[in-house]
Amino acid sequence: MATTTNSNITWVEKYRPNSIKEMALPTAKVSGHKVDLTEELHRFVVDFFKEKRKINETNKKIRAYNRTHEEKDHKEELKLASDKAAALLEGPPGVGKTTIAYALANDLNMEVVETNASDTRTKNELEAKLSETTKSRGIMDFIVESKKKMILIDEIDGIYGVTDRGAVPTILKLIEDTQFPIIMCSNEYKQNLQSLYKKVRKFEIYPLSNEEVSKIARKIIKKEKISNLSEKDLSLIVEKNHGDLRGVINDLQGISQGSLDRNAKELILNLNRDSTEEIFALIKDLFQKTNTLNEARSLTDKSDVDYNFLYKWVNENLPTFIRINKEIAQALENLSLADEIFGRIRKNQYWSLLPYFYDLFAGGVVLSRKRRRTDESFRRILFPRFTSSGFFSLSVNEKLLVDKIQKKYKISDIEVVQDFVPFLKKLCNSSRKQLKDIGEWFELDAKEKKFLK
Amino acid sequence: MLSEIPIWRIRYLPMDLDDVCGRENIKERLKEYLKRRNFPHLLLVGAEGIGKTTIARLFSREFLRGYYDTNFKLVYANVPLTSEEMKQARSNAHISTSRLGSLAGKTITTPAFIQVKIKPFVQLKVLGDVPFKILIVKNFDYLGSNQQAFRRLMEIYGTNCRMILITTKISKIIDPIMSRCQIFLVSPVNYSSFESLILDIAQKESLKIKREVIESLYKTSGGKLSRAIDLLQLCSISGDVIDLEKLYENSINSQNDIIRSLLLMCFKGDFLKARELSRKIQTNYKFNSQEMFKIMLTELAKIPLSKYSRSKLISLIAESDFRAIDGRDIDIQVSNLLAKICYFSEFI
Repeated sequence: MATTTNSNITWVEKYRPNSIKEMALPTAKVSGHKVDLTEELHRFVVDFFKEKRKINETNKKIRAYNRTHEEKDHKEELKLASDKAAALLEGPPGVGKTTIAYALANDLNMEVVETNASDTRTKNELEAKLSETTKSRGIMDFIVESKKKMILIDEIDGIYGVTDRGAVPTILKLIEDTQFPIIMCSNEYKQNLQSLYKKVRKFEIYPLSNEEVSKIARKIIKKEKISNLSEKDLSLIVEKNHGDLRGVINDLQGISQGSLDRNAKELILNLNRDSTEEIFALIKDLFQKTNTLNEARSLTDKSDVDYNFLYKWVNENLPTFIRINKEIAQALENLSLADEIFGRIRKNQYWSLLPYFYDLFAGGVVLSRKRRRTDESFRRILFPRFTSSGFFSLSVNEKLLVDKIQKKYKISDIEVVQDFVPFLKKLCNSSRKQLKDIGEWFELDAKEKKFLK
Repeated sequence: MLSEIPIWRIRYLPMDLDDVCGRENIKERLKEYLKRRNFPHLLLVGAEGIGKTTIARLFSREFLRGYYDTNFKLVYANVPLTSEEMKQARSNAHISTSRLGSLAGKTITTPAFIQVKIKPFVQLKVLGDVPFKILIVKNFDYLGSNQQAFRRLMEIYGTNCRMILITTKISKIIDPIMSRCQIFLVSPVNYSSFESLILDIAQKESLKIKREVIESLYKTSGGKLSRAIDLLQLCSISGDVIDLEKLYENSINSQNDIIRSLLLMCFKGDFLKARELSRKIQTNYKFNSQEMFKIMLTELAKIPLSKYSRSKLISLIAESDFRAIDGRDIDIQVSNLLAKICYFSEFI
């Protein structure tokens, strides 16, 4: 770990690990399967450069060929598959998404080009910052073998609205042309980034376990010689941060620096850091502490959480807290009415209906419970990850399979997925020979065959 | 060559109009058009999966003969535009000011779907020795209000390109379109042609199948030939003799049955598991929720229930579907329905 004596830098920066070996690694999943994040990312970067070099060499030949031939004979230049050029790390704040990218770059002796939500990311800004890295090398690079680079697009879910207009298409183009691997970080699923998600390899990152967080926190406490913190306070801090290591470290710094009296310490312990943090607390309070409509009202009034997705959180976490079918049904009935009202508000601008929306989704949940059980135990709060898409969309790999099938059998995407593929799956599961025959006939490769299993 | 195709439903696809199973009256009318080398715009109506598209495609191929590839296009109205196509539509939206004439600098307001998929095809001249091109639009009802745009298109480019519109729901087609088309009602295959087809396949694949098994195959497949042939192939894997038991065993697990299993899961009263299953179904089968509600409704009829509970459940599904129209998060509506069924199941 870095041991700078400069007291101005935040501890988060001070204790940011330089190498992956020093990190507390979060669990990661790729489409539901647990994977080793370090190994996968390491392989991702190494493979990228390997394949890119191959492709660049072929492209050089193609360009030479194109120069000497007429336009109609021109050959297309090769491109790297988009999921090999970019990876997306998606997970709650503070678990180490940015850190792992930096640590990896450090381990591989690479330079990181970063853009984050603090930059305006319009088309032009992004291009100015990143396009240099996408083109092949600069003049100097032929003289000095320069450091390889890694592009880090942090806080990608912060790309929003008019200020960042045109960012998504630019990033998409970047993914196509890039000479360096791209790593993107994001907190949550965003509808408007869907076109991006389809192109990249997505790692879902889960929060760190409390034990791991405490272990690191203890190390820091020892190093910084914090004395005014009991073991109980520490576990309180760790628990309230839900695996957010950065949050824990910030809290520690807040408590240790300066002479804090008991009240100030309390304040920090109860502090809400960011909106996700606040939502966690809010959801918890709503389900575990609120009993009356007035309490629910004051809870939603006080918080400045975006109600756009607050009620989605309520939906996701409802069954974790309410277990009786009758109460679930009643609560969801209120919630669904709230959703309908909200839809109408947005559609027709009936903002006068908003109070009903609030009362229904917050108060409705509270009032649907006859009697709150005196159960204050900790329940894991879930992210509303699942978005039921109103329309049809395919992932990159699915699209490949569908395209191959359509080459031989002309039916629509929807028919392939809903009708034909389930049948093929069944057929392939019945015998290996069938799988082989079908694979051969549709000219599927191993990866696509896996889909049929 | 033919026997190399491992999937029977593709192996036994009809090669020409005569090959199509049953539907004699339609075939006759279409052949008349072939003879006269002319036909009006057509509108084919009929249930899902009974062969409307196959008939339309074969008819077009026979009509265009050697010039089929260049003069034929099939468009799915229910498949959304890809991002590239959307981009193209947007870039086309402004006519350059450098262009002279009354259109200069104006914005084109044509819907993106028509702009990208329909117009470029119908505007191009016919290639080769055929009277006009043929455009098939599948699932035409999905176009909704965009159907209006077809009214003029069908008239202006009618001489250059004939359209065959295909739909399952005639009630969703607007009147002006219907008045511009010759309407064909495509019925499911009748039993006698179905039987002869299945017997033919059975003979070629050397299967043994009894008459009563064919009857129940006809019932379970609901007249959908591709589904019937799929079932036949699944049954054939475990031996040459096809009996009712095998048929039953293999007929479960189609998409409808999965929705039914979801309903049954709800009846057990475990909301959390039911929601997980429904989400899994939605991601695996790419159902949109509206379709899911509809399938639930059909499956409900197959589950033995009292009159009261059936009507109650129907009203629950109807309400959820209704709310999903205006609602913003469809998952909430689906969850609501599942929760209500879970709760209601306590009283059945």
